[in-house]
Amino acid sequence: MPQAKTEGFISLMTQKQLHTLAKSWFKDQGWKPFAFQEETWEAFLDGKNGLLNAPTGSGKTYALWVAFVLDYIKNNPGYKTKHKAGLKAIWITPLRALSVEIAQAAQRFADGLETQLTVGIRTGDTPQAERAKQKRKMPDLLITTPESLQLLLTSKGYEKVFKDCTAIVIDEWHELLGSKRGVQTELGLSRLKAIAPKLRIWGISATIGNLDQAREVLLGPDSQAFKNSILVKANLGKTYKVESIIPETMEKFPWRGHMGLHLLEEVVPIINNSKTTLLFTNTRAQCELWFQKMMYKHPEFAGEMAMHHGSINKETRLWVEQAIHNESLKAVICTSSLDLGVDFAPVESIIQIGGPKGVARFLQRAGRSGHQPGKESVIYFLPTHAIELIEASALGKAAINQVVEDRIPYLLSFDVLIQYLTTLAVADGFYPAEIWKEVKQTFCFQAMTEDQWRWILNFITKGSQSLQAYDEYKKIEIEEDGKFKVHSKAVAMRHRLQIGTIVGDAALQVKYLKGGYIGTVEEWFISKLSPGDVFTFAGKNLELYRIKGMQVLVKKAKTKKQARVVSWMGGRLTLSAQMSELLREELYSANLPLDQQTRELQALKDIFDRQRLESIVPNNDQFLIETFKSREGYHHIFYPFEGRFVHEALGSLLAYRISLLSPITFSIAFNDYGFEILSDQKIDMQQVLDNDLFTSAYLFEDLQRSLNSTEMARRKFRDIAVISGMVFTGFPGKIVKNKHLQSNSQLLFEVFRDYEPENLLFQQAYRETFEHQLEEGRLRIALERIEKQEIIVKNCEKATPFSFPIITDRLREKLSSEKLEDRIKNMLRYLDKI
Amino acid sequence: MLRYFFCCRVDEPGEMTEICRAMNQSLSILDQNFVLYPSGGIFWVEKSTLLIADVHLGKVSHFRKHGSAVPFKAIAENFNQLTRIANSFEASSICFLGDLFHSSLNTEWKLFEDWVNSRTEKIILVAGNHDIINPLKYEKLGIAIYSEIITEGFLLTHHPEEREGVFNFCGHIHPGIRLGGLGRQVLKLSCFFKTENQLILPAFGTFTGNYYLEPKSGDQVFAVTKNEVIQVC
Repeated sequence: MPQAKTEGFISLMTQKQLHTLAKSWFKDQGWKPFAFQEETWEAFLDGKNGLLNAPTGSGKTYALWVAFVLDYIKNNPGYKTKHKAGLKAIWITPLRALSVEIAQAAQRFADGLETQLTVGIRTGDTPQAERAKQKRKMPDLLITTPESLQLLLTSKGYEKVFKDCTAIVIDEWHELLGSKRGVQTELGLSRLKAIAPKLRIWGISATIGNLDQAREVLLGPDSQAFKNSILVKANLGKTYKVESIIPETMEKFPWRGHMGLHLLEEVVPIINNSKTTLLFTNTRAQCELWFQKMMYKHPEFAGEMAMHHGSINKETRLWVEQAIHNESLKAVICTSSLDLGVDFAPVESIIQIGGPKGVARFLQRAGRSGHQPGKESVIYFLPTHAIELIEASALGKAAINQVVEDRIPYLLSFDVLIQYLTTLAVADGFYPAEIWKEVKQTFCFQAMTEDQWRWILNFITKGSQSLQAYDEYKKIEIEEDGKFKVHSKAVAMRHRLQIGTIVGDAALQVKYLKGGYIGTVEEWFISKLSPGDVFTFAGKNLELYRIKGMQVLVKKAKTKKQARVVSWMGGRLTLSAQMSELLREELYSANLPLDQQTRELQALKDIFDRQRLESIVPNNDQFLIETFKSREGYHHIFYPFEGRFVHEALGSLLAYRISLLSPITFSIAFNDYGFEILSDQKIDMQQVLDNDLFTSAYLFEDLQRSLNSTEMARRKFRDIAVISGMVFTGFPGKIVKNKHLQSNSQLLFEVFRDYEPENLLFQQAYRETFEHQLEEGRLRIALERIEKQEIIVKNCEKATPFSFPIITDRLREKLSSEKLEDRIKNMLRYLDKI
Repeated sequence: MLRYFFCCRVDEPGEMTEICRAMNQSLSILDQNFVLYPSGGIFWVEKSTLLIADVHLGKVSHFRKHGSAVPFKAIAENFNQLTRIANSFEASSICFLGDLFHSSLNTEWKLFEDWVNSRTEKIILVAGNHDIINPLKYEKLGIAIYSEIITEGFLLTHHPEEREGVFNFCGHIHPGIRLGGLGRQVLKLSCFFKTENQLILPAFGTFTGNYYLEPKSGDQVFAVTKNEVIQVC
């Protein structure tokens, strides 16, 4: 080796020497490497790809970054004096917020070993000047997001930038796996594999049910990379304990609701007895409300308590994270924004407010406390309404058994593929034959047919499958030698802006009149307010002054008048299959003698008694249906206890089947425990039973037909239209109201339905509804279970404790078999009466 | 709660016009007679004039030109609907109340030329905010352009106008109406929206959205379905 010669005494180090080098640095810090860290170093140095299963805060960054640095030292014996600039490693993180901490850790080790390696961050927050500098001279390690990686692929000559890359790490892979950002990552990796032959691919994932599949998705099924890979598990011997917060008396316990403020006083002693407490809420609105009430009732916490959620400005969030590190905060009320990354050693107590809906998420949060290996993590669960206590009880068992869910990867996401191909066409252009081979090797597109591929190519070049007279469709053009390329600067510009659009409501920036950015709120919320109205946001009472472009200008509110709390629409979570099963078992145990019940169920005695007044608490061989009449119409409530998504599907299916018997119109509501079919007509339950409407026969066909009359596929189509670039969300800063995006995607849905139903993107909306929303498999199992149960119909006078949370839910699906004209006329008759 | 729910009327191609005719609504304003037609036009009986607002021709092509592959077939449907309504009234003139063409000139103009040449009616355009095509192009087709028209106490405009002593027919808003019923039913429909001195027409085009209005007391709202116009308040 010529390098070894010039350095004289330095020669190639053995693996053992490399390990010793790293260990001595660890020793200098007063640490000792974990077994899983050393295992990862070894596998990496052996040239393997892999998936590291390690929880947050366990030292996973050092597992992989140290491995990379040691490998670099091995191959560059003159590393202390010689440094060749250029990108050598990429670290992908799903959350921008995490990049700073990763960068600090990485730089610390690189400097500690005097490697001269540089670390840089490139995300949506990176200033333009910095990005331009990076383009001229890339850092050795680039920390970035899936979207920013895709953006890098849109730049001309990108192949040269990546060609010497030897490692890419996908952090928090479990978060990306079940989402389209995961598909985006798969596609990006398929390209990098081709242009960087020395690339090693590693993922880091928290514990999920399908870890082996997660590795297969990351590396590509049957790929060389997959064959040469390993799964490393960090066994930290963690145990968990769930402690439910149960009030002294159950009288004040609400039957529904999701804020949980009635138990506010119960958490105060927990906060007082721990160094630092994290309170996890399920929504940003709940977070705001809790903070507001806490400050009002316990002003002594002022200065020692903070709030953290995704819509608060970055500086504040970073400050809060830093303050947790420094132990200068007593408590932080947060949302899932603190789920990932950031190691918070000082956190002693975790309080979960409201059902976390999934075991994996709950355990991850529980893992936030008690970081010392072997120490038991305690998580307090605060139920927001009575029935959630059953959930708490079930969670306690889940934590002991460590049952966790799968993350289901997306298949054939043509919208993401179209976005990716446009990305390549914007940069240097691409030849389909070459890209086809790469794309086919991904997990997502392994089953894509040549016909589908041809369809996609026609779609991006012609906007349809055959040339049309008078058509001016323009996006990707085919050059003479067959290269697919975007020539229009406008198309390229729009595409770049569109990458990474998180489909959600338009976010408006909230700023003080005198300057000072506070955070973002959604357009729909602010549109309900008029100037002068007061709302609470980021823990402050603000008065709306005016809306200017995409900015909401506010003043500090002087009055103490009742303020609205900002709310966000963010997706509601559903119970996982595992969680539902635990929940059912738990519920059935309410029929056991009191002394055999858990503490939580015992506390619910009054509510169960009330439920039994007019109805029953079902056993595992019973399926309960309740009916009653109110001013709103005829309520029919069904209790499968299968989680929100399955209930949405089951509700639509049953409503559809009933609507075949006679013309009728329904609205359907659902929560994690059951669903309601509400109508202006009474449903004859005997007829439902006689016609065997719970059968799993013709499930697929009936479900498909019921879908046509509901909104589910439409909602899925919205994301697809945006990701595939059919709907443009607007230039930053310029006001293109999101309403237009919505109207566009809704209109698009309808024109596709009427004029081009064979369109693959249109069909994808239905497929996604089946695979990711309805969980057809789960639905079938649920129906088969119900078929074996005895159906018990209870005609009640009024709402029962079980039905109350469902019937008051406002999120509703609709289904009708009446003629539109008849429905209007019925409504008019109804209006006349009142 | 579904926040934004936009609906648009899409008539099934090849529908029988006879059925539609039976379901029209008749209306008398200032002693003149008007017929409201389900696809969104108004026939002014005494003037033998058809009023149509917000067709937004060229919109589909405009989207396609900018890389959004809206189905090409939707273009033809706009012209089919125009032909259907024109054939069922045999009016002597057709007056478009603005936003006839959505964008700058594109290839749909050629289809529009063909359509105009196939008609015998006199065609008039009251220009709207979207109508940016050179007026000379319209004049070549024999189409007269006005910024507004006042006749017999009626004011025809694109934007809603309130002016003393006249009744205003206009478009621009794309009015829609929400209806609620027993069992938490909700319906959203395009509509004709009439106040004391004004009638706003629904958007005629197939690729247009709605803006939902709250009627006040005294307002009259005529919801449109595929083949019926129904007064809802």
